[in-house]
Amino acid sequence: MVRVSRLAERGAGRLPGVVVALTLVFLYTPVLVIGYLSLSPAGQPTIPIDGLSLRWYTAVLTDSRFVRALFTSLGIGIVTAFGGTMLGLAGAYAIVRSPLTRTVRRSIAVVIALPLFVPTVVVAFGIGRASALVGFGYGYLPVVLGHLFWVLPFTTFLIAARYGELDDRLSAAARDLGADNRTVFVTVTVPLLWPALMASVLFAFALSFNEFLITFFLAGSGVTTVPLEIFGKVRIGATAFLNAASVLVIVVSAVAAGVASTLRRPV
Amino acid sequence: MSVADTPGRVRDWLIAGSPVLLALALGVFPLVTLFVESIGPGLGGENYAEVLSPLYRGALLYSIGVGVGVTAVCLAVAYPITYWIAHRCPDRYRLVALVAVTLPLWLNYVVLNYAWVWILARGGVVNRILVGSGVLDSSLDLLYNNVSMGIGFVYIYLPYVVLTMYVSMERLDYRLITAARDLGASDYRVFLDIVLPRTLPGAAAATLIVYARIAGAFATPEILGSPGNIMIARLVVQAFRQYTNYGFAAALSFVFLLLVLGSLALGALSPRVRRELRQW
Repeated sequence: MVRVSRLAERGAGRLPGVVVALTLVFLYTPVLVIGYLSLSPAGQPTIPIDGLSLRWYTAVLTDSRFVRALFTSLGIGIVTAFGGTMLGLAGAYAIVRSPLTRTVRRSIAVVIALPLFVPTVVVAFGIGRASALVGFGYGYLPVVLGHLFWVLPFTTFLIAARYGELDDRLSAAARDLGADNRTVFVTVTVPLLWPALMASVLFAFALSFNEFLITFFLAGSGVTTVPLEIFGKVRIGATAFLNAASVLVIVVSAVAAGVASTLRRPV
Repeated sequence: MSVADTPGRVRDWLIAGSPVLLALALGVFPLVTLFVESIGPGLGGENYAEVLSPLYRGALLYSIGVGVGVTAVCLAVAYPITYWIAHRCPDRYRLVALVAVTLPLWLNYVVLNYAWVWILARGGVVNRILVGSGVLDSSLDLLYNNVSMGIGFVYIYLPYVVLTMYVSMERLDYRLITAARDLGASDYRVFLDIVLPRTLPGAAAATLIVYARIAGAFATPEILGSPGNIMIARLVVQAFRQYTNYGFAAALSFVFLLLVLGSLALGALSPRVRRELRQW
């Protein structure tokens, strides 16, 4: 019987494995192609490329517009990563551990989760209009606030999941030994949450670094981030410059997300 | 007790206050603003009448159609993928496999969609292979149509669907499948009678999460789609950029939002779908 079912399994089982293999090819071919083409010396690469060169990387990293956009993106990303994680920690505490009533805590979770179920274009358009009407205008501050708002559900629920698993008795024990709330938080809670906090910082950074639509609505003319810069150029045409810039963007976000994934299972 | 409790409660409100204030200021207040703009000027409802006129109703239906169609393709692919990762993959490779299929989620979708231009363009990878191997005499126009846009969408949203489906696929008890096989069930029957009913809530949750994001997407149709096919986001962006027709764009946003919330509410009626949605 066992052997029969093994046989059936073997016969039946090819399809899922094949689909996984094909999907990996589907997912990674474009990335590899862009990486390959970015090494072309020609401004308009052809396939196969005629030679190997890093000159377009030099061109990208010496292009003042792109470098400014890169620093803008990195700056907004870092502020969003740490700010979003701190807000997420506050949100997670409020949802999981605070003595607020169940209804209040649930409402807080729903409000924080808003960007997950309201379509991004609606959120972005709404924030853009509201910002203009209140006189806040466009620029760095609205973009940073927009990014914080956008990453908040991710950081909050990521930290809340870990917070919920913490053993209450550990902080109770610390309190019995005479620690005040602040000491308990700093010496017990934060170290236990550390992997989740690090993952939250990295994921929030990746989300902010890649965010396009909210920035598109809130940047105005003064602020350019890397995704905006690339989107503007994509519509003009595919070039070697864009390929090298794309590879740099992919590397930055893949490193952040890859490290974050080792800190926390994706599911 | 209550004396010690009061400052704690104030502190908790302050802690909860910062993220909630942000969410209210950037989530709720803008929606109220949009709603006010959508019914003005003068409570006419003209903006809503315009949204529902045949021209824009077409754009709305087209956007939702694209969303549903792409989601269906994603589900069809995600079923075998999640089944393999949850039940076939050797334990020590499971995490690697899961990260590998979901990593693109964290990459930039503008860049990822741009990469597809190089695959599908006239001098791109696909045409070079087909012409070079003698299958075709001359290159095909593969870019800037519904298919190229669909590929771009599947590329971006497949990881979301996989991630959502995986949870319910992992929960599926593999012994049920073995038992059915031992009793002589074919693959087809195993899928239809065991796998499908037990993972349907996961599929429903994935659909609810992904179809609206696709219907409301802006970058992918601009980079890979046909210029003639107008989706919701482009109409909103145009109104916003040209400083005109805010009321119309606001009304369009609201009709879209109501459709999305309506479908979510329908999904949440089923407790099993609600559980799957909760992970988001």
